[in-house]
Amino acid sequence: MDGICLELAGKVPVGSARLAGVDERALIRRAQGGDRAAFDDLVRLYDRNVLRIALQIVRSPDEAQDLYQEAFLKVYRSLSRFRFEARFSTWLYRVVTNVCLDHLRRRNTRKEIQAPMQAEGEPEYFQSIADESPTVNPEQTLRAQEIGQRIGRALARLNPRERVVFEMRHYQGLKLRAIGDLLGTSEETAKNCLFRATQKLRVELSELV
Amino acid sequence: MKCKNFQDNLLLYLYDELPGEERAAFEAHRAECAHCRQALEETRSLHQLLGQRPAVEPSPELLVEARQQLEEALDREEFGWRGLLRGWFQGVPALHASRAASVLTILVLGFGLGWTLRPRVNLPASNGGFMGADLGNITSISQVTPDPQTGEVRITLDTGRRVTLEGSLDDPRIRQVLQFAVRNYDNPGIRRDTLDALLVRGATPEVRRTLVYAMLNDPNDGVRYRALDAVRELGWSPEVRDAFLELLKKETNLGVRIGAVDFLVANADQAVLPALRELATQDASFYVRMQCIKAVRDLSGEEF
Repeated sequence: MDGICLELAGKVPVGSARLAGVDERALIRRAQGGDRAAFDDLVRLYDRNVLRIALQIVRSPDEAQDLYQEAFLKVYRSLSRFRFEARFSTWLYRVVTNVCLDHLRRRNTRKEIQAPMQAEGEPEYFQSIADESPTVNPEQTLRAQEIGQRIGRALARLNPRERVVFEMRHYQGLKLRAIGDLLGTSEETAKNCLFRATQKLRVELSELV
Repeated sequence: MKCKNFQDNLLLYLYDELPGEERAAFEAHRAECAHCRQALEETRSLHQLLGQRPAVEPSPELLVEARQQLEEALDREEFGWRGLLRGWFQGVPALHASRAASVLTILVLGFGLGWTLRPRVNLPASNGGFMGADLGNITSISQVTPDPQTGEVRITLDTGRRVTLEGSLDDPRIRQVLQFAVRNYDNPGIRRDTLDALLVRGATPEVRRTLVYAMLNDPNDGVRYRALDAVRELGWSPEVRDAFLELLKKETNLGVRIGAVDFLVANADQAVLPALRELATQDASFYVRMQCIKAVRDLSGEEF
């Protein structure tokens, strides 16, 4: 997959490397040679996107932060094997996607499938875009929260692969071909996952439709 | 398009992933099939419902916190053992290119380190002439085999690699290894075999000194007794006589003492008479006392 697929999807901004005129390839070369500052620069180019992907999938700031760190550590450890056969962003997003997928699998194993709730007094890590509507009132807000929680619980009941595919297609706007590439599978398989996920969500949320 | 195909393409249509021709056929079927139209609206409603779930954007605070924690984790990576190994590999391009080679190198390094740090035998500096520095590197001697027919000795030892030496006692390297083994090696079996090896050909003064040393100083009773035998085979001489007299002053093993007394009595002369008198009166062993009384009586006619 061309890494630009993510960026063109609209939810992931175009990498600032090109905007700032930074030579990404040179940065990667330097980072591969052990230049920590160059690696830090690479992190800065993409880390907001990485955190967004993780947060979108797990919906928990703490877990997203852990996944962000795990993904970048994996990239740091294996950067020497990056051979420029794909875009760096593609490679990076593939890593974070797989880290998220593995995390969901582990979480399912631990039966921790409830939607994360924000504890009182916890820092406001979410910036809920929907809440910024000028027409909101308390009832609508409460109703939206309830619906959001119902949807969260329904999504949590999907298997990890279905969940990731659905999140990426429905909420992040990635094309099925791009999702297949990120997950190391075919577009057809991604499509079947999306169908199954939608069917399950239809059943789970039938009362609300 | 049939209803079945329409149902199959519902999601692709809503996600705008239906190719142009199929999209046109899909929309044509929608216009003419009320049942499929209803199915499309139900799915669209589900999509709209799912769209009510607010999108999330990481806040600046979360991003800053994530970056700080990543920095700390990267520091641990860079300065921990992983970082040290990585840094080393990055400095060796040939290894950097091959993961398998890197793993192999780690194994070799580990083995080499372990080998370097293995316990070593303490060697006297005076033995440093063997094959350059090899004698100083002897870590074990696994076999010493004398061949009485040929007079040659075969020695298998480790000096970082397994080495087999074969030759006669005329070879200074062979003599050095054997003398080193008698004096320093901690395996009494090897020390005993080494004594035998030293005896396959006539002893040089150097070998004689080594045999006497073993008879007087070896910590193992059996090795001392074998050394005593070896010294006896050297024949009587002032050097051997003095060695036996010294042995009887300090030897605690009765078998060795008896062996020494028997040899001393058999070769007794005026020089050993004072020592025999002392043993005849003071030795704890009845056999030793009797042997010495007889020897003194034979030499001087004295009665006890």
